[in-house]
Amino acid sequence: MATLTTLPLTLPALPSGYSAPSSSGLSKPSSAHTYPAGPSFLSSARRQLLQRSFAEDDKLVLAQRKKEAEEASKVGGEEQYPGLGEEEEDKATLAQDPKEWKKQDHYAVLGLGNLRYKATDDHIKVAHRRKVLRHHPDKKAASGSNDDGFFKCIQKAHETLTNPERRRQFDSVDEAIEDSVPNPASIPAGKYCATLAPVFAREARFSKVQPVPGFGGEDASKKEVEGFYDFWYNFDSWRSFEWHDKEVDEDSTNRDNKRFTEKKNKSERTRRKKEDNTRLRELVDSVLANDPRIKRIKAEEKAARDAKKKGGAAAAKGPSAADKKAEEDKKAKEEAAKKAAATPELSKAEKEAQKKAKEAARKNLKKWKKSIQAVIAASNYFLPAITAPSAAQIDAHLTELDTLCDLLEPEEVKDLKEKVEAAGPGEGAKTELKARVVGLGQKADGKFVEFTKDPLGA
Amino acid sequence: MRNRSIPHILGINFGQSFASIAVIDKEGHPECIANEEGERQIACAISYSGEQVYIGNGAKPFLVKNGKNTIMGFRNLLGHTYDEVDHTAILTAPLLSSSTTPSYEVDILVPPPKAPEKGNRSAAASGAATPAVQEPTAGKKTLTAPEVTTLFLSTLFTSASDYLGVKPTHCVISAPTWFGPEQQAELRKAAEAAGIHVLQVLDEAAAVLVGYRVGMPEERKERGLLGQPEEGDAGEVEKTDKKVVVLDMGETSLSVSVVAVSNGEYTVLGKGRDDKLGGREFDNLLLKHFAKEFTKKTKTALDVPCSESAPAGDKRAEAKLRLAVEHTKRSLSASSGAATCAVESLKDGLDLSTSVNRLRFDSLAAPVFRQVGERLRQIVKDAGLDLAQIDEVLLAGASTLFPGLQSNLALLLAPTAPVTAAIDPSQVIAIGCALQALHLSKLDKDLQLSDVLALADRDAETLSAPIGIAIPGEKSEVLAAKLFEQGSALPSRRRVALGVVGGAEKVGVELWEGKEEVKITRVPAPPAEDDEDEEEEDEEIKEVVLNKGKFLGYVETEVKGAKGVQMEVIVQKGGKVEVRLWAEGKEEDATTLTM
Repeated sequence: MATLTTLPLTLPALPSGYSAPSSSGLSKPSSAHTYPAGPSFLSSARRQLLQRSFAEDDKLVLAQRKKEAEEASKVGGEEQYPGLGEEEEDKATLAQDPKEWKKQDHYAVLGLGNLRYKATDDHIKVAHRRKVLRHHPDKKAASGSNDDGFFKCIQKAHETLTNPERRRQFDSVDEAIEDSVPNPASIPAGKYCATLAPVFAREARFSKVQPVPGFGGEDASKKEVEGFYDFWYNFDSWRSFEWHDKEVDEDSTNRDNKRFTEKKNKSERTRRKKEDNTRLRELVDSVLANDPRIKRIKAEEKAARDAKKKGGAAAAKGPSAADKKAEEDKKAKEEAAKKAAATPELSKAEKEAQKKAKEAARKNLKKWKKSIQAVIAASNYFLPAITAPSAAQIDAHLTELDTLCDLLEPEEVKDLKEKVEAAGPGEGAKTELKARVVGLGQKADGKFVEFTKDPLGA
Repeated sequence: MRNRSIPHILGINFGQSFASIAVIDKEGHPECIANEEGERQIACAISYSGEQVYIGNGAKPFLVKNGKNTIMGFRNLLGHTYDEVDHTAILTAPLLSSSTTPSYEVDILVPPPKAPEKGNRSAAASGAATPAVQEPTAGKKTLTAPEVTTLFLSTLFTSASDYLGVKPTHCVISAPTWFGPEQQAELRKAAEAAGIHVLQVLDEAAAVLVGYRVGMPEERKERGLLGQPEEGDAGEVEKTDKKVVVLDMGETSLSVSVVAVSNGEYTVLGKGRDDKLGGREFDNLLLKHFAKEFTKKTKTALDVPCSESAPAGDKRAEAKLRLAVEHTKRSLSASSGAATCAVESLKDGLDLSTSVNRLRFDSLAAPVFRQVGERLRQIVKDAGLDLAQIDEVLLAGASTLFPGLQSNLALLLAPTAPVTAAIDPSQVIAIGCALQALHLSKLDKDLQLSDVLALADRDAETLSAPIGIAIPGEKSEVLAAKLFEQGSALPSRRRVALGVVGGAEKVGVELWEGKEEVKITRVPAPPAEDDEDEEEEDEEIKEVVLNKGKFLGYVETEVKGAKGVQMEVIVQKGGKVEVRLWAEGKEEDATTLTM
């Protein structure tokens, strides 16, 4: 916005015959860094970025300010709540004894009987002011009556409802709120949600955790329904029963008496709290047990499972058209998957056959190995005939044979066995073994000593 | 009940030696708050002592015994590599030469690993042997400068959160005027690592201007932030167009920014810094003064400030004396009486207990005051201005609290120009940051914060000469009034109201581009008296005059008995000027002129 500066200058009347000197343009602007700081920079940035001229911006800013001022006058202003606290009091309310404040309905006294626990702090403030204006003893004095009983009730109600702790205590035991619950078993399935949603909305006012998940509609998803019941099974309530406490006799100086009353109050509170918790739990239990949505979800899940198991067969059983379609889609997909899997299945059979052949070969392997071992033993472990082979030497030969058989394919072992047997014990067998080891090439490097030794006499 | 829509705002002044934090209170005014130790000036120091970490003022005493594990002066290292920074550390933890990012290594004790929780908590004997008590093990910890910054800023953030009861959502953090984009980015990164939502990294000088609401007459007057000059009316009125110097003298450095203010927008005309001239100079002066006194009284040599090779005893004595001198310095700037300085067992078991008064201190510090004045003169001259043209000097930084320095600066300026310290100079930056955060939080919904801030990345078009008005028919060479300051960011607009002589039918106004000149008149000194040896110099009186430069245009309007006229001048980008003049209350009949 433009700030108007008043300059200490007084303009004289224009001299007659004045002619302005010849004008020239402004010098070329230079450039410099500006600090991105302060409200003026921000408004200049606003004009630049939104491409507004000074006049346009002024208009918009003025409009904005006007709107803000209006809103500011509304907040805390009383115009915001027309009719609030102007409920007519019935005679019984007006005639209440302020000493019996524990029994009075604080909301009704302030004229908030229809809002009750939904009344905000602002509501209470405004309603209290209006009631006080009407029922202040100074107003009554004009009409001659001197009864300030109801005014005292108003003050007590205000005092109670503006103290958050006291208000909770009062709300916990507010008798004016209906607490009847229809029997869930006798509610027709179509009206189940509509009937019970308000019940839970009412109970939700005691929740320490806000917001509370709603009851949901007939077609709520599984997640929603489960979330709802999870919440109510873990319900954390601030409801308390101090309001029903018995007053300790004020003038009683007996300490034991006082303690006794306090103890009783405490146990009574706990009992009521426990009762309330049980009540809520039973309510949730019975609601859950009769919930048509749970049944529906279970049925759906079963159908899905069946569909999975039986493929096409379940599709016909599908309960609804939508489900049917879903099933069919699923089926189609499964079939597609099967087709895709068909080719590898063929090779699967082949693999099976190969596997069997290998198994058989492995069984025979032992036999073949034994025959080769027999030939080696018969050749006196390739030692000169006179020397008896030492245990170490025998062992070395056997290990090497094992290694060799491991490295070779079963068919190759069979082949080796046949060749060794054909060559007979002695030099022939040794040559065959050596040839096989050499044939292995790199795989055999360093693993064989005995078999690669030169044959005797060579 | 507090309005919930008020955002929770935090302004952080993050200096090299001290930091301060400010929040917006319930009335919507900024307020500098104390941390949980009750300090508004929070020392930027972190000390590792065994298993403990001390952050803030609590870390400073560790300079005496545990200097090697005490980290100070880390802010200026942000965004620099090891080779770019000065790495002589005499008392504090040294920088590691091995890494490129400046980093420190400190000794710590690592707490022992927690013994596994026993399943059975019964009191009966378990049969198992009682595990030996585990000792913490000595270790080393390496911290880079950004890590240290994050750690420090997070404690500031916690203090503010504790004060507000909630975590602040809108924060502005200050950076010195010489920080480049890289260092600003590094600072922002470190702050964000500390969980702070940084709206803007704001130049310290800009924070001071925002804090003082310079160029916004109503707001500034309302908050009582006007300066008090020796002469003139600047004490009552805030001009929308003026030239301002922000002089920020912190613990270690001096920075001066010359700024043109045009209707609350700030254009930088020049800036400079001296990183040797700071509050530390005063410390050193007092240190030398007290050391001399100590030597005189006790006949024990004490040479401070120490060199790097000084014996450990001297270093410790210096550290002790430094801590004590800081208090002396504070009491000197706060009260006019003598300030005491007492140190037990300063050196060789001998105590020091002495005092210094303000007069003595001013004479000690006179060279430093002169240096500051010289710097100021130089930087203003580099900006193409004369000191007489400066309309106000705003002070920031705790070292400007000395009345001696303030009066010294006032002597350099025109008598109408105030040296303002209406907001505590040690808090003004934090307050400015908080205010800026408040302004940013109220940003128009249609605007993106990043777009707005990006506007300032490019230099803006500014007026190269002031614009003023003259009364038609007057032969004077001087303009009647100045409308736009030289350096006003374009587009810019002014609205002025002018009086009209009674009975006038028609009035007119000439618009001129002005030339500011400094007129020097010499007042001859009174003839020297015989007994004085020195001859007094002639006194120079400097006066700034706005001469007519180029004629821009002329508008006239019918007044018909109205008491005054109003005029609006808009200078668009590129230098297009739009003028409107109308009799009071008849804006729709305005005469317009476009040049």
